[in-house]
Amino acid sequence: MKEEQLNTLRQQDINLRDALKLDEAELPQMPADLNARVMQRATQQPRKTTVRRIWPWLAAACVVGFIIVNLMPPKASSPISLQGEGGVVAEKESQPEVETPSVEQPSIEQPSAELPIKHSAQTRVKRMVAKVQPAKVEVSEPFAEEPLLAQEVATPETEKKTKVEPTVTLTERDIPITRPENYKYTPEEIALMKKQANEAYLKWAQLELEIAKHNLEQTAQK
Amino acid sequence: MTTITDIDLLEGLRKQSPKAQQQMLECYGRNIFAQVARLVPGIENAEEVYQDVFVKVFNNINRYDAEKSALKTWLSRIAYNESISFLRRKSLPVVYYEDRNGEAEKLSDEEVDETFGRPNAETVQLIRAALKHLPPDERALITMFYYEEMSLKEIAYVTESIPTTVASKLSRTRKKLYKIIKILQS
Repeated sequence: MKEEQLNTLRQQDINLRDALKLDEAELPQMPADLNARVMQRATQQPRKTTVRRIWPWLAAACVVGFIIVNLMPPKASSPISLQGEGGVVAEKESQPEVETPSVEQPSIEQPSAELPIKHSAQTRVKRMVAKVQPAKVEVSEPFAEEPLLAQEVATPETEKKTKVEPTVTLTERDIPITRPENYKYTPEEIALMKKQANEAYLKWAQLELEIAKHNLEQTAQK
Repeated sequence: MTTITDIDLLEGLRKQSPKAQQQMLECYGRNIFAQVARLVPGIENAEEVYQDVFVKVFNNINRYDAEKSALKTWLSRIAYNESISFLRRKSLPVVYYEDRNGEAEKLSDEEVDETFGRPNAETVQLIRAALKHLPPDERALITMFYYEEMSLKEIAYVTESIPTTVASKLSRTRKKLYKIIKILQS
């Protein structure tokens, strides 16, 4: 209903207006001392607004601090996490340290099947190995004890490259997990997962058969 | 909107002048008390809410924006909100008619207009009885429009609504009142 119509009704609804006037006349009267009580209360009451307004900001600051602390990346123990030239150099220096097991234990080492990735990694490592020769011998032993989970398929091209560069070989395992080339499963890992999936399926099927047999026995008994 | 005397009054209130506060109570106290007493049952409750209203007004006078509403309308808004909050807080038992099936909407406008428009003392008494069966907010709406002759815009400001909603609510409440009168007559 439009305002004009309502305004017209306001003038026309005489009974309603009269009823409201009579009701208003019967409302309780305001006590004479009520305003004095209000003044008394207003003068006595201290202001709390400043206290009330601070705590939301404090709470918000705590929440923001909590989020920042939780979302900040963890500090890495190795120099890989450093940024800038110093970090890049440190990253390259860590790669020759990782390469040494392939030199001293040729049984473990196998060239990678993924040519473009390995080629770039190896060229980078090549440069650093030339710079950092003494570090090779020191770090080799811990890596020798690692179980071989990621094996690299040898290809003729990579084998040639390894022959040309006897001291520079990288396994996929040696590349840090944060590198994009390490996100892919190796064929061995995929084969292992398929085998485990098949075994799990067989076990599930056996369990289903047992459950069905048990149900049949139950119904037969009934 | 705000008058020249209101401006002087506001200046005094912002300085927390007791004289200005006293003047405000004398100017607007009676109307505010009546508004509160319509919504809140019992004189003790009305006194309590009245005190809360003006203490809140004195403490928050800096929030008043003269461009948005007149001082009286702003006071009415605080009084309305405080009364409704008080009713919710205390959960006082209030019995009123609820038109769940929407039967009031089906009534013809001519019947309603005739009942409210044609002068009749008996109808006036029936309307007074029917008003007691309205929920407090609807009753306040009818009173603000018919008795205090406030515009839809002012009522919307007081009830924190919009004018179109107020208009439709007024129309609905009017028909509901007529429905209650019919029930009381039968």
